Amino acid sequence: MDAQNAQKTWSLANNIESVSAADEIYRFDSKQQQDILTAKPWEKDPHYFKHIKISALALLKMVMHARSGGNLEVMGLLLGKVDGNTMIVMDGVALPVEGTETRVNAQAQAYEYMASYTEAAKQVGRLENAIGWYHSHPGYGCWLSGIDVSTQMLNQQFQEPFVAIVIDPVRTISAGKVNIGAFRTYPKGYKPPDEGPSEYQSIPLNKIEDFGVHCKNYYSLEISYFKSSMDRRLLDSLWNKYWVNTLSSSSLLTNAEYTTGQIFDLADKLEQSETQLGRGGFMFGMDTQDKKTEDKLAKATKDGCKTTIEAIHGLMSQVVKDRLFNQVHCKPPRTSS
Amino acid sequence: MATSMEVDVPAVSTVMAAAGTSGSVTISLHPLVIMNVSEHWTRARAQEGKIVQVLGALIGQQKGRNIEVMNSFELVFDVIEGDIVINMEYYQLKEEQFKQVFSDMDFLGWYTTGDVPTPSDIKVHKQIFQINESPIFFMLNPMGKNSDLPVSIFESVVDLVNGEATVLFVQLDYTLATEEAERIGVDHVARVSSGDNSDISMVAEHLTAQHSAIKMLHSRIKLILQYITAVEKGEVEKNHDVLREAYSLCYRLPVLSTLRFKEDYFNQCSDVCLMAYLGAMTKGCNTMNQFVNKFNLMNDRQSMGRRARGLFF
Ligand SMILES: [Zn+2]
Repeated sequence: MDAQNAQKTWSLANNIESVSAADEIYRFDSKQQQDILTAKPWEKDPHYFKHIKISALALLKMVMHARSGGNLEVMGLLLGKVDGNTMIVMDGVALPVEGTETRVNAQAQAYEYMASYTEAAKQVGRLENAIGWYHSHPGYGCWLSGIDVSTQMLNQQFQEPFVAIVIDPVRTISAGKVNIGAFRTYPKGYKPPDEGPSEYQSIPLNKIEDFGVHCKNYYSLEISYFKSSMDRRLLDSLWNKYWVNTLSSSSLLTNAEYTTGQIFDLADKLEQSETQLGRGGFMFGMDTQDKKTEDKLAKATKDGCKTTIEAIHGLMSQVVKDRLFNQVHCKPPRTSS
Repeated sequence: MATSMEVDVPAVSTVMAAAGTSGSVTISLHPLVIMNVSEHWTRARAQEGKIVQVLGALIGQQKGRNIEVMNSFELVFDVIEGDIVINMEYYQLKEEQFKQVFSDMDFLGWYTTGDVPTPSDIKVHKQIFQINESPIFFMLNPMGKNSDLPVSIFESVVDLVNGEATVLFVQLDYTLATEEAERIGVDHVARVSSGDNSDISMVAEHLTAQHSAIKMLHSRIKLILQYITAVEKGEVEKNHDVLREAYSLCYRLPVLSTLRFKEDYFNQCSDVCLMAYLGAMTKGCNTMNQFVNKFNLMNDRQSMGRRARGLFF
């Protein structure tokens, strides 16, 4: 019995200590949230929300949901809360909708499910409200398309505070790290102050127009992640079993299709810039033309570098593994007969 | 919850089957489930301000004797006279919801948090029989202190104890399921502190991951080596099973030395080399183009003049 008492006092002490620290973020204060909802500080400043914090669980759920969709776009709901100019995402909910890029009414269809889900979640202590939506762009990068922009504008009119997260499961695998972006749109007619050039990302040729037309209508939030003290311990011990997978996986094999696609895309882009280059040489008014061509070629170069670097990374691991497991001579080499 | 006071060591034997009973299924477990339970527990504790037991359902796929636990969701329960009673209405609602999204997954069992299985868990397990005839039982120990994953999985058997048919738990072995995207996700959240800094070299990042995995492999091999040296010196008693396994591990090296592997490996290398050429050539073209443009710009005035003259002639 003594040991049990000791355990009890220990856990009690442990309890008090860690709830106040890292895990405080997991507590939901409905009054505080209600106050924020009534104050609506985001109405005064179209650029109010600057940061977004995503829980380890939500990130993992989104990555896996996006991956399970394969080449289909999937969609889900984000539950969370607001803290100052930071949005906090606690959980992600997969919605029964596929192919979001082609169907404008995807959200309407999911609405009923959303309502019943959040209602049920409240009963098990998931008190947070919907704070945004996520969907996947398999293989074409994280940005908002025309349909996404109009959906998000509507959301920000009627569902505030609301954020849009886009995740690319295919690029996640090829780059070896999670490819994700969080966005909020500007109100209609708002002219954003000229920001510095946003971070470059390669976009397939057939999507570039869609990207270019709408890319000034939204901005991206700075993403950070958090996890509980329990998660931290679990992840540490997970690694004890998980390191094997780092060695055994090969991005060259799992993502061969995507890599081939990237090469095709690069070839198309190079061809396009070539025709422009050829034309540009003979044209008289070279200045404007030049700039465009240069951009095209420069962008194609960046895409090419990225694909190449990823492939080389994949090969590096292959070489390492070959060295580790195949070039071992702990016994005399088999005699070839 | 209520049972934690009365449970003493002898009570455990009335919930666990005799040692040596082996499980009938193999389990592979997705890390997402572990994170899900961990979050459920953390959230409940943060909200209540004290440690509470949480309970939920496991879903996934079963193919013959192989069970893959892929996801989980929370369940509602009431405590009636100290006994946990699962709210089945709530379960029905959630089942209908998850079927809409994960149509290929089925209910597999349930999870809870705690130290060791208790008679109370048996009572809950019996309620689960209504949903699945042979459910599995997943237990996460939030207070586990050693570096092992504090997760145990059980299935149930019906055995005669003192002439009475009793439900008993049998512990199952499990492996962690691997899916590339999931691995990257876990890696990502595990190394959250490093953040998404773009000024860290991509190569360094990639190699660090490889390096830490190899370091782990190295430490494992060192452990085996230490054991064998100790056996040789006579410090440790010989365990033939361990020695046999160590031998078979060594015998498998080199893992792949067939001609076919060499060919494929060579092809892969040349594929990547071709890609690297393409990248390098594109880069070279771009640099050249920029150079030409800048050169033209510098000599623009004269050439403009010349070209303009040319037009007038
Ligand atoms: Zn989209």
